Amino acid sequence: MTQFSVRGLLGALAGAALLTAAATPAVLAQDYNADATIHIGSLYEPQNLDNTAGAGQGINEAFNSNVYEALFQLTDAGSVVPQLADSFAVSDDGLTYTFKLKPGVTFHSGDKLTSADVKSSIERVTAENSKSSRKSSLKTIASVETPDDQTVVIKLSARSISLPYNLSYVWIVDHNAKDITSSEDGTGPYKLGEWRRGSALSLERFDGYWGTKPTNKEVVFSYFTDATAENNALLTGAVDIITSVQSPDSLAQFQNNPAYTVSNGQSTTKLVLAYNDRVAPFDNVKVRKAIARAINNKQLLQSIWGSYGSLIGSFVPPTDPWYEDLTGVDPYDPASAKQLLTEAGFPNGFTITLDTPNYDPHPVVAQFVQSELAKVGITVKINIITPNEWYTKIYQKHDFQVTLQEHVNHRDIVFYGNPDFYWGYNNPEVVKLIADSDKAKTTDEQTADLKKANEIISQDKASDWLYLYPQIVVASAKVSGYPVNGLNSQFFVYGIKKAQ
Amino acid sequence: MQRPRPGAGTLYFARCIAKRQLAFRLNHDPEVIAILAYLARRLVILVLSLFVAAVVLFVLLRLLPGDPANALLGVGATDAQIAAARAQVGSDQPLPAQFVGFLGKLARFDLGESFVSKTPVLPEIGNRLSVTLPLTIGGFLLAISIAVPLGILAGVKANGRLGTTISVVSQLGIAIPVFWLGILLVAIFAVNLRIFPSGGFPLEGWRNFGTALLSLILPVVTVAIVIAASLLRYVRAATLDVLGSDYLRTARALGSGFTEALLRHGVRNGAVPVISILGIDLATSFLGAVVVEKVYALPGLGSMLLLAIGQRDYPDVQGVLFVSTLLVLVIGFAADLIQRLVDPRLRGQVHTS
Amino acid sequence: MTVVAEPAPAVRRRVSSALIAGMLLVGIHVVIALLTLVWTPYDPTALAGMRLESPSLLHWAGTDRLGRDFFTAIMIGSRIALIVGIGAVAIGALIGVTLGVLAAFATRLADDALAATFDILIAFPTLLIAMLVVAATEASLWSSILALGIALSAVIARLTRILAKRVLAMDYITAARTSGASWPAIVAEHVLPNIWPTLAVNFALQFGIAIIAEASLSYLGLGAPPPNASWGSLLQEAQGTVYTAPIAAVAPGIALVSLVIGVNLLADGLRDVADPSRRRAR
Repeated sequence: MTQFSVRGLLGALAGAALLTAAATPAVLAQDYNADATIHIGSLYEPQNLDNTAGAGQGINEAFNSNVYEALFQLTDAGSVVPQLADSFAVSDDGLTYTFKLKPGVTFHSGDKLTSADVKSSIERVTAENSKSSRKSSLKTIASVETPDDQTVVIKLSARSISLPYNLSYVWIVDHNAKDITSSEDGTGPYKLGEWRRGSALSLERFDGYWGTKPTNKEVVFSYFTDATAENNALLTGAVDIITSVQSPDSLAQFQNNPAYTVSNGQSTTKLVLAYNDRVAPFDNVKVRKAIARAINNKQLLQSIWGSYGSLIGSFVPPTDPWYEDLTGVDPYDPASAKQLLTEAGFPNGFTITLDTPNYDPHPVVAQFVQSELAKVGITVKINIITPNEWYTKIYQKHDFQVTLQEHVNHRDIVFYGNPDFYWGYNNPEVVKLIADSDKAKTTDEQTADLKKANEIISQDKASDWLYLYPQIVVASAKVSGYPVNGLNSQFFVYGIKKAQ
Repeated sequence: MQRPRPGAGTLYFARCIAKRQLAFRLNHDPEVIAILAYLARRLVILVLSLFVAAVVLFVLLRLLPGDPANALLGVGATDAQIAAARAQVGSDQPLPAQFVGFLGKLARFDLGESFVSKTPVLPEIGNRLSVTLPLTIGGFLLAISIAVPLGILAGVKANGRLGTTISVVSQLGIAIPVFWLGILLVAIFAVNLRIFPSGGFPLEGWRNFGTALLSLILPVVTVAIVIAASLLRYVRAATLDVLGSDYLRTARALGSGFTEALLRHGVRNGAVPVISILGIDLATSFLGAVVVEKVYALPGLGSMLLLAIGQRDYPDVQGVLFVSTLLVLVIGFAADLIQRLVDPRLRGQVHTS
Repeated sequence: MTVVAEPAPAVRRRVSSALIAGMLLVGIHVVIALLTLVWTPYDPTALAGMRLESPSLLHWAGTDRLGRDFFTAIMIGSRIALIVGIGAVAIGALIGVTLGVLAAFATRLADDALAATFDILIAFPTLLIAMLVVAATEASLWSSILALGIALSAVIARLTRILAKRVLAMDYITAARTSGASWPAIVAEHVLPNIWPTLAVNFALQFGIAIIAEASLSYLGLGAPPPNASWGSLLQEAQGTVYTAPIAAVAPGIALVSLVIGVNLLADGLRDVADPSRRRAR
């Protein structure tokens, strides 16, 4: 726990200055304190500790690959690598997967990892009352068998090339564990230390870990509800890293400052202007394209994020394997927008209601959209609602015309293959392509199918994808080894090194 | 002149007599009986109020739009999962059934479990109180120690520059929103001067006593300044009232020094209305401190409530409101009691107002 | 040191200084608010400049995150603050005075219950009541006003009850009753006119409280969303730019403080005028 003495802080700052003055990354990498405590600031406190019980994105950040591991891991670069699966084989018809588990793995409670734990973990996600957001992705699993302690056989009802990827979300939990909403029993390099709601959560190095020892002894996630308080904590050295800066204005204090490093990574969070494709006027593709052309995404991105972030022409971010740069489809062109509107039968525009979540940056973006669309004759009424109401009104009841929402999931193009999804995009060709992509025999086939689907979705302008959030991690120059992309909100802490 | 000091035996004898006199008074003195009867009545009202508050709370919360199950779900949840979540939190049950369940739990002092985190509500409230109570009580005490002397001074020197200056400064203190004050204090003392931490509370709580204390200093000062500013005006007004009063003039006319008269007669008289203000201020600050908690990232009671309301986490909301209502009623009770102790004229009355 | 009453001219001077200063400050804001109805330097929603420009001749207070003129936003803040203050006090007065007068008539048991209720309601911080009301109605300017009005009504009701009871205990009320006047007439002719001056002073104080409470609501994220952004919202947004664009973090605060001080001075001045017993103690 850091001591807040002025002398201590001055000393630490002087030390940091010396180090950064003399350091190259290589020097820092070797010259680190293996028993350091890393303090991480985050805005996403988990609601509970069970990712199948609605714990929220905060639990991925704190626990994925830190406390719990899975058969596979989604790395920070976006690839899927085996983690607890030592090897696996797929039958020719793609319906049987045989996994051999890594030997010598123990849970934090001391139990050994066996196939029974894998079976129960998978069944937790596919269970009837599971609230895991991954449940539907595992619906092709027909059965999980455990012929012996080190072997798991998964039988599918249909081919699913993305099974390893989907399995990377399934925590392997000790089958003896009782209630993991407030406790844990995983195989990861850290144990849960203490959790004080509203304040912080600590992870302690697990000495019985099967893999490479972490380069620090303890990690404390400090939770804030206010971004300024979080920044102040980094400025005063109360935390060493901020996981995901939400506003470029606060970066000014950290950029060009030798005491800090600002990393600009690739996130998977996309800001979407989602039309309700079922209702007029959004059931008309010309209207959808016209609106997309009327909004200057570049200016919007600059207003919100300054020089950070990037534009996307579709729902697929650069870290997805089927990414294509489709920003050329329906570029900013208000004149062409007006013309399309006239062609669609709305020469004088129309009035629509934009349901907007009440938290940053949605209200500001809504105002921008409103003023841009006013220039082509469309009147936008902004209706501010809470996330709770959004979930009921828009997600469940589909009672909206157009809405704004940020989508954080990785590889979520599949939402467009579901005609019942809240935006109601129903293109049979896309539905077929997306369904077929999972039945592909190779990942290349899958990628080709999804790229094709994506192109159609983009041309159809099923939604307007405004921009891709940057993933900005700001850290004290004394620490290194932290992930910069934070895919799916994961934040692996086992490689973080703090200088002496 | 030195008075002869009693010996040990005399003291013992005096104490026995005092005890017997007290017992007699308690059983027979009409004034004491009146106070006891009043106490009993207030206690009954307190318990009833608590019950009514609980019921009203329950009904009001269920009337709020928004589904508590939503906090457990995300984009990608299927209809079946949504139904399962609603079944789990019981929001698919008819209202009367929910109400009966709630009452049953309340009778056993079981405040239930959070819908969202599945943890029992009472221990979590306890954790939050361990931050909120020191924050508000500390701020309160600091405010009194600033506002009372300065307020009296401002009243006494009302015509001079000092009095006016204090008055003007207190006007400023009232007008500044507390979060702005907090932001400014953090910017100056935490970020610039690095004397205090900019926020947060240690994970181990009060086990890490030094850091916990340090984390609370700026927040306590922030709370104190805001309370002191409004308190100062009341103290000043009360002082002015006292200064213009007959009994003070009489005391002076009879030969008391100014300070002596003020302290002996003025404080007791002026204190009564001030005490009720103090009670209200303290009671409102338990939850009102939520803004300070946000600025300083403190895990207090107000933050718990704010989050719970947003998530429609009814057990948490009910629990916090119930506990804070209890605190409010207890403080009101205590304030009333103190008023009666201070001012004998009030002891027969039912209400001090 | 003298304790006895001051000579009259000194009293008059002091009374008028608070009242005049108060009226001046409030007057400035009222003028600005009225002005915004017909003219503002820029259209409040127009993206007139680059984001976060420093103050210049073109933009007297610089621009905000989206490039909208900040001076316009501050001016409109005056209008919003006045609307919130007047609206909240109006609702609070309507509910509070009615309930308070009714409570003054209550018999002993009901009286105890009502007094306890008011006490509980008062002890619930304004913010909390506002949180609940906003949760029920979704954040908007009107939900903020409603929320604050309800929160203020408890304090007003309590005060009204105390004052009304005092009046009702007077002899001339009994006299009026004996001569056959109905209760509503008595309330209209005797109770209200007598309690009105003290109430008016209290309303002025509540006005300031409402404005500050609204700022805190906005800070918590429960306030009215733009384009009805209040100074509180502006301050909340400006937090991130406190070191890079300090004007954004300071100007709305100064505007808010000036209005609240003005209103409080006005209340003080009114109190001196309305409550003659006070003069003696000065």
